[in-house]
Amino acid sequence: MNSDIQYEISQFLYYEAYLLDHRQYREWLELLDDDIQYTMPLRVTVDNKMGSNLNTEMTYFADSKKDIEIKVERLYTKSAWVENPPTRQRHFISNVVVEPGFSSNEYKVRSYFLFKRSRSSEAKTEELFGEREDIIRKVNGKWKIAKRTVYPDQSVLSVMNVSMFL
Amino acid sequence: MRTIDWKEVEKNIENGRFPQWLVTDPEIYELEKERIFGRTWQFLAHESELKEPGSFVTRMMVDDPIILVKNKNGEINAFLNSCSHRGVRLCTEDYGNKKAFSCPYHGWTYNLNGELIGVVAGNKVFGESMDKSEWGLRPVPRVESYQGMIFGNLDPDAMSLEDYLGEMKWYFDIMLGRSDGGMEVRGVPQRWVAKANWKMTSENFAADPYHVQTTHRSAVELKLTPSDPLYASYGHQVVLSNGHGINVITSATGRSNNIYQGMPESMWSMFEKNLNKEQLDIFSRVQNFVGGVFPNLSFLSSCSGTEGTKYNHLQFRVWRPLGPDQVEIWVWYMIDKALPEDYKEKSYKGFIATFGAAGTLEQDDTENWARIVEASQGLMARDRNLSYNNMLNYLMGLDNLDPDENFPGPGKAYPTCYTDHIARSMHKYWLELITKEPEVKSHE
Repeated sequence: MNSDIQYEISQFLYYEAYLLDHRQYREWLELLDDDIQYTMPLRVTVDNKMGSNLNTEMTYFADSKKDIEIKVERLYTKSAWVENPPTRQRHFISNVVVEPGFSSNEYKVRSYFLFKRSRSSEAKTEELFGEREDIIRKVNGKWKIAKRTVYPDQSVLSVMNVSMFL
Repeated sequence: MRTIDWKEVEKNIENGRFPQWLVTDPEIYELEKERIFGRTWQFLAHESELKEPGSFVTRMMVDDPIILVKNKNGEINAFLNSCSHRGVRLCTEDYGNKKAFSCPYHGWTYNLNGELIGVVAGNKVFGESMDKSEWGLRPVPRVESYQGMIFGNLDPDAMSLEDYLGEMKWYFDIMLGRSDGGMEVRGVPQRWVAKANWKMTSENFAADPYHVQTTHRSAVELKLTPSDPLYASYGHQVVLSNGHGINVITSATGRSNNIYQGMPESMWSMFEKNLNKEQLDIFSRVQNFVGGVFPNLSFLSSCSGTEGTKYNHLQFRVWRPLGPDQVEIWVWYMIDKALPEDYKEKSYKGFIATFGAAGTLEQDDTENWARIVEASQGLMARDRNLSYNNMLNYLMGLDNLDPDENFPGPGKAYPTCYTDHIARSMHKYWLELITKEPEVKSHE
């Protein structure tokens, strides 16, 4: 992959993480293309002979842009108690691999994530980790996420809810 | 520490006061495991999760790992998921299909009926004292099902599942038995761990529409739900036997804006065939069924959808206690097999948008459940002498509400869902079970 593209897309993902960690959700929305499919299937514990240990029939979310907009606007209400007072969040994004996509302005991007969250005055922190598969494309000179699938590594999530965007 | 004064607990529960120390007290938690979870029917799976002979799922009954497997005759059996040889957890897979279960430690192998059929080097290393028929997988003493819902019970002398469910069966018939072909679970249950006490989460679904306006106020702010503070109160809260309960939530007019919870007309003739007149009456008027089977199975049949059309979705959930202040949440999404695929897909989207780990409504529940246990573990909240007035308030409807004799369904129906009648009934049944000493069985 062209090192300029690799660099641009990596920086784009770090910028996205920055917006989420700083609760700039409306600005984050602008990074999503209008036809985005944003899903998080379930990880399961199954025998190797089953091939995949993902169950895509059930998901934690399968959101369109409109669904995400509702979730974002909810976080700006006065009574989204789960994030008011806000938790402190960090998205650590690494292992970014960029491959060509279906068209010249589109790329398949794989990344690893480690999400850490500190809630209230609890000393114990929560975490989620796994892998993301994105389609990222350039629209009118700006990078946009056209598709994201989030694969968690845990079959039983150890976070008390999935109120965060991953 | 002061010993437990059960008489005093009883007096308070009778008067709509639940001593706060009971929520997370470690001694109480140990008693709950033995006397409540050891004696009541625990939900294990829906029959649609076990399609073929050899299909299995692994589940937990609090701390007991369980294998539920369909044998060659199509019968479903449940066993302790533990090799009879050295106690190894036999199967760590969530689900799959097998001809036999082999232990990875020494290789002992069991068939789909739990019988020990293979012992590595058996004849060479074991003598006559080894009778394979004595060393099969240990069965869950009772496994019974109703409307496809499979339950297990660790008490061999327990009443039958149908007797235990009692009046709840009538409501299960509406939610699970209304359409031809029955229900199916989509995919696998969502699972995650939350900071909460199992009693409080069970109550939240079975007994507490009163929380909706405040906990879920963000939905009101977004104009997704009505601003009328009484909107989740309309309808009836129905107290059922054995600590079960259901809220039949309608609307200010007593009717639903979406007949049969927004189900397509193509389904209506099935409902009319499978349900009786009273069941149809309730089903045509309900917006939400929300309730619970004591101790820790909850359900919600609701409607979602943004553009005018509403889609019904049904979920069952188990609050598996992991300790006095932690639960593993299991949520099964179910749908009528007979529905058109397009409807199923929209129903599913409505479910995950609102409930489950990422659901916008559920997120705020998890915050409140966490705050209950966070504030219920100190010396004041845990004081058994109740010196700090450390009692929780269940006074709603205690002395100002009479049952509605005209309600068409079974159970004692109160004409509002903003009441603590089901919660108080749960507390009474909880007390009855937890104070019942285990029977000492004589071996004569």
